[in-house]
Amino acid sequence: MRIGTKLIVGAAIIAGTTAYMAYLGASASWQYYVTAEECLASSDSLVGSRLRVSGRIAPGSLEIAPDRRRAEFALAVPDGRLRVVCDGPLPDNLAEGVDVVVEGRLEEGALLRGTKVLTRCASKYESKSPNKVETRLGDAP
Amino acid sequence: MTALGQVLLLSAFVASGWAALACIAGRREEGGPLWRSGVAAGAAAAILLSAAAGILVWALLARDFGFKYVVDYSSWGLPWHYALSAFWVGQAGSLLLWAWMLALLALAFLFWPGREPSRLHGPAFGVLMAYLCLLVGVMIFAADPMEPSLSAPSEGAGLSPLLQHPAMLIHPPIVFLGYAGWAVPFALAVCALCSGKLDAEWVRESRPWALFSWLVLGAGILLGADWAYEELGWGGYWGWDPVESGSLMPWLTGTALIHALMVWQYRRGMRKTALALAVVTFGLCNFATFLTRSGIFSSLHAFSRSPIGWTFLGEMALLLLGGTALLLWRRRSLGAELRTASAWTRETMVVVATIALLLLAAVTLVGTAWVPLSDLFVGRKVIVGTAFYNHVLIPTGLVLLATTAPAPLLRWGKPPTRQQWRGLAAACIVAGAAVIVALAVGLRHVIALAVVGTSALTATALAGALALDSILQRPAKPWLGVLAALRARRRQYAGFLIHLGLVCLAVGVTGTSLGTRRYEIAMHEGETVVWAGRQVRFAGLVERKVGQKHVVEARLEVTPQGGSPYTLLPAQHLHAPQNEWTTEVAIHSTWRGDFYTILHYGESEDGVHLTFVEAPMMRWLWFSGWVAALGVVLRLWPVRSPRPTPPGQAPPPAPHSRRTGRRRTVCATGHESGGP
Repeated sequence: MRIGTKLIVGAAIIAGTTAYMAYLGASASWQYYVTAEECLASSDSLVGSRLRVSGRIAPGSLEIAPDRRRAEFALAVPDGRLRVVCDGPLPDNLAEGVDVVVEGRLEEGALLRGTKVLTRCASKYESKSPNKVETRLGDAP
Repeated sequence: MTALGQVLLLSAFVASGWAALACIAGRREEGGPLWRSGVAAGAAAAILLSAAAGILVWALLARDFGFKYVVDYSSWGLPWHYALSAFWVGQAGSLLLWAWMLALLALAFLFWPGREPSRLHGPAFGVLMAYLCLLVGVMIFAADPMEPSLSAPSEGAGLSPLLQHPAMLIHPPIVFLGYAGWAVPFALAVCALCSGKLDAEWVRESRPWALFSWLVLGAGILLGADWAYEELGWGGYWGWDPVESGSLMPWLTGTALIHALMVWQYRRGMRKTALALAVVTFGLCNFATFLTRSGIFSSLHAFSRSPIGWTFLGEMALLLLGGTALLLWRRRSLGAELRTASAWTRETMVVVATIALLLLAAVTLVGTAWVPLSDLFVGRKVIVGTAFYNHVLIPTGLVLLATTAPAPLLRWGKPPTRQQWRGLAAACIVAGAAVIVALAVGLRHVIALAVVGTSALTATALAGALALDSILQRPAKPWLGVLAALRARRRQYAGFLIHLGLVCLAVGVTGTSLGTRRYEIAMHEGETVVWAGRQVRFAGLVERKVGQKHVVEARLEVTPQGGSPYTLLPAQHLHAPQNEWTTEVAIHSTWRGDFYTILHYGESEDGVHLTFVEAPMMRWLWFSGWVAALGVVLRLWPVRSPRPTPPGQAPPPAPHSRRTGRRRTVCATGHESGGP
């Protein structure tokens, strides 16, 4: 077999294996990515689906178990709230008004049963409005 | 001061624009008045940007809340070094940093002492200045770091406590330095394509810059991983978040570029690939910037939705389209990709490794862009999890290790010699023995065994090549031969040292991916638990005040089986200015693995909640960075110039010249003898 042919066959094997592994990985891990508003609007069709829902914790809705292994809260949407119950370790900065991403499945009655909740990293490139600054300073102990 | 800063930025915009025009238009007469005016304007742009950067640094350190940027990212309670790091925390500041670094690198590129004259330098400097002009333009029109604050408050918002970590002091600047560095091979490639000077000159010019950028970007990625590992308190270091993938993709294609440049230099092959990779790598640097600013990707990082993200996407599209057009235009001059006589040559291994690297980069790109793509084509946003990337990393990573391992005992353009075949056979036997030993000590995972085998193969092949080289030096003593071989082929062995860094990385990634164990427990004071070969006693909680922080610290007394006892202090910090808790993990690190402890705040009747994580081989992952860095430094260290030959005397024969037939056997391994 010529070297060029060998290289093509080798490349095809590597590409085929990679594509197959990518397919396996994608089928095991894909989730619908929706906002809390979209989740609530399409709750009938999304029941039972793996979801990754982004939203902001509504004021006055957060309850954290004393051992910090369970949290119940609601994600704010314009015409209501999406209820979330999340079991498992909770991030440090979980608080009302914080942007979160919840991974889990939607149950009947538009209840999101989360297995993981992640707060958005207050990272670089985030610009804060002066109003927000004043509020935060006012709240600080 | 804000007005002065804005004037400086505006002047830098004009100066860099003129530098671009003059250096490109005056390329035919390097040293002529037009060209010289362009160089002077480029130098002026660098000085002006340095002054602008100085103003922002002063404003951040002096807490001058007349600057909106200072109000957004600094406060009086911030230590001075974190106040300084706020420079690159915000969008506008990070752009200024990027532009400033690009300006300084462009000057270093032009005025590097001892460089050989090149026809590509002038126009390439012009291309760099054109890009600098664009960056400064984006700042002036869309993200001004000198924007005045409408109502100068007495206090600013401060920096997120999560970003108050030593790694954050250097991680962002290093990543931006890496992005700026990749602009140089790109500029050289564009100039080579436009001018048709597609000879070894652009390879000679590009290689050190590609290596430098590769090292810097890689170091930036590792520092980011270190920050995630120590600061985010989840026991991991890599989550395939778009911001991580964004910096990984140019690093992968850049790795392929470095190797393609070697094939061009030694075999005159992979020429189209090398040029395309130079364009794609810099295009991906722009894509990474788009990722973090467009707001259309699913990221845990809270980025602003800024229109400047689309500017960078447009730039990437322009670069890729322009690069493709130039490559098509010059395709005949570039000739065939590669002709090789055997599958067992270095260039073959490079081709296979390049395929693996590009596949990994492509899959990362697809996975990152899955959300907008699925929304576009299916009408629903779908996201893929870490399993998608991890599955792909297995075949591509193993191919990379397998192609790296035999490299020291292969030659360019020819199959191995008889001695090299023997060396390869011996290395395979040692690799097999290493796998048997690993099985005997209880390792059962097939991927872990494959990594053990290829790692042993890499180390043994390197030792074998060194032994063969040292014999060819005909030394009085064996160790003198090894030293002579290392000295004669320092740059080649530096490259293999970088390969050993890859092996360390593979060991670290495999160990932590396959062997990490977690244990969550609630403990009362004085309670002892035995886990993973360790006895852990919870001695109690300590609360204290440190500056503006309220610290809650758990004291864990750990006694490993057969080891010395030590104490770990995982903690929770309440940062008063932000009223925000952060987890401060405590780690005990050895070459076998890390013992990582997390204190969760909140106490129940069950006691204090703790998580223990055992991460095998973690230290090898960080060590890989040091090994690779040493390799790059040794590779880039200048070669000592030969002494001038006295008049009338014949120059001495080159010890490993490829032109002399007899000496060619000395170079039987096809090694590089210290050239660029």
